[in-house]
Amino acid sequence: METSATEQSRAYRGQSRQKRVNVGPGERKASMAGGAALALSGLWSIGRRNYLSGLAMIASGGMLLYRGQTGHCGMYEAMGVDTVHTQGSGLRIEKVVTIGLPPHQVYEFWRHLDNLPRFMKHLESVQVTGERTSHWKAVGPGGLSTEWDAEMMEDTPGQQISWHSVGSADIPNKGTVEFKEAPGNRGTEVRVSIDYYPPGGTAGRAAMKIAHGLNAQQLEEDLKRLKQILEVGEETTARRTA
Amino acid sequence: MRAVCWHGKQDVRVDTVPDPEIVQKGDVIVKVALTCICGSDLHLYNGYVPTMKKGDILGHEFVGEIVAACPGVTHFRVGDRVIVPFPISCGACWYCKHELWSLCDNTNPNSWMMEHIYGDTGGGIFGYSHLYGGYAGGQAEYVRVPFADVGLEKIPDGIPYEQVVLLTDIMPTGYQAAVYCNINPGDTVAVWGCGPVGLLAMKSAKLLGAERVIGIDRFPDRLQMAHSQCQAEVLNYEEVDVAEQLQNMTGGRGPDSCIDAVGLEARGTGIEDVYDLVKQTLRLETDRASALRQLVRACRKGGTLSISGVYSGFIDKFPMGAIFAKGLTVRGGQAHVHKYLPHLVKLVAEQQIDPSSIITHRMSLEDAPAGYRTFLKKQDSCIKIALTPEHAAPKTEPASP
Repeated sequence: METSATEQSRAYRGQSRQKRVNVGPGERKASMAGGAALALSGLWSIGRRNYLSGLAMIASGGMLLYRGQTGHCGMYEAMGVDTVHTQGSGLRIEKVVTIGLPPHQVYEFWRHLDNLPRFMKHLESVQVTGERTSHWKAVGPGGLSTEWDAEMMEDTPGQQISWHSVGSADIPNKGTVEFKEAPGNRGTEVRVSIDYYPPGGTAGRAAMKIAHGLNAQQLEEDLKRLKQILEVGEETTARRTA
Repeated sequence: MRAVCWHGKQDVRVDTVPDPEIVQKGDVIVKVALTCICGSDLHLYNGYVPTMKKGDILGHEFVGEIVAACPGVTHFRVGDRVIVPFPISCGACWYCKHELWSLCDNTNPNSWMMEHIYGDTGGGIFGYSHLYGGYAGGQAEYVRVPFADVGLEKIPDGIPYEQVVLLTDIMPTGYQAAVYCNINPGDTVAVWGCGPVGLLAMKSAKLLGAERVIGIDRFPDRLQMAHSQCQAEVLNYEEVDVAEQLQNMTGGRGPDSCIDAVGLEARGTGIEDVYDLVKQTLRLETDRASALRQLVRACRKGGTLSISGVYSGFIDKFPMGAIFAKGLTVRGGQAHVHKYLPHLVKLVAEQQIDPSSIITHRMSLEDAPAGYRTFLKKQDSCIKIALTPEHAAPKTEPASP
């Protein structure tokens, strides 16, 4: 159920009916120009009685014009690609969860990086290799795996940790997690944002995202698991048998 | 073990499935002594609740005896007879700590599904679709019950299972429906639906001080039960204009509170009923709202609508203008069973209330498919069916790791 919605779970819930801008400004201009040119040559073709190809050109030109004008691309949406809300050439995902423990406790759990695979499902292991360095292994569906070294850039106890990958990572990435006291004794607001810089432009980006499930939905479920582990003591499950 | 499994629309079967085991530190295994078919199970039976899978074990009303417990469980021991609330609650999140037990943050492993549909998740529920967590239900010989220390309530010695089995769901649901009405002396409470929840809501309303209760249904035997068991005045909505009649009965004011104990499969009359049926069949709306529309129309100004019937999605032609113009309060939701259990157990022990009086049918778990059919068609004056697992064959006790 609702599988298409899961692919687009970014922070635009509630406006799903409204077409969302997901094409960057540069691409929009190119779409407009290309679309206009295609449509014109389509008209020209029809003038020369090449009806079929002419109509096809007008149709695709029209789609490009529409894409440029509205900034919405159905294909991008289907692939989960967004070239507006990404930083530079990367793909940013961001999620937040409230956990009923004080910030320093949540920070402590996260700061022991080998805890991360307990709730981040795509991570196989995180090994601490030095005071600020660590080695990460991730596995995607179909056994595709990738490894990288990471270096901590900022570490403010009880408040924030940020890191970035170093060396020749397959998928260069950086991330930040903030721990902020929630109002009304509700505990800690944990805000995570991760940027990935996959190789191979847009196509690579989509492929990587699908292959590794590194999407907002995944991160949201990861944070739910973190909350369960910290509040309840373990991940909850509906399994009947051990 | 034997268990009642969902196989598709109006297709449930009693299958042999693996016994449950202890999986986590808060788990116990309950040997089911008695389990019921709930009206909300009929929504699953009729295919109105999405995310059911073939083989899912049904049932969220069950009581029994603990036959295995993880050492992590401290309040209960093997041998304890227990009531198991239908919502699964962690006891640790903000919602549980604020007695909003059925809204627990942590017990629905499929919380993302509900978030996509409703914007946030509630807790898991035994045997009630993968939307509500995908937990196996209690229409079975054995059930894995997680968070035992949080959820369970001991059954005092001498009280038979039959008197407390309805405390797992419909008794607290009916009680909460009445609590939500903020009943004052002299109040009149009208209840749409004289099924199990409706009857217990009427009893609860009386218990909480309502001067009059009025039961609304279309089945004469149900209306008769409301009249004889709950001292209710009754209306058959197929025979009278309910809103007009309620005005007449209350000096032109309308009932002070109106309880919806019907939910998404409500039937109305005339063109409105046809309109809802057609739209629901075509999936243009998910729920039929005729009862809810009547509640809004009938309720006195400044009154309360208390919704305990299950709704699952969207309804059409909802009289929002009337809610605004009449200044109505709308409350509803799954019952926070844990909150009411100790008090209700006390009421049962003191014989102030006996929920078992509404059980009309007793049968073996093996006869569940026939039970579902009888309950659905309301044949044979069926109000509530209790199923007893046979536990006959010599079998291996559930293992603990």
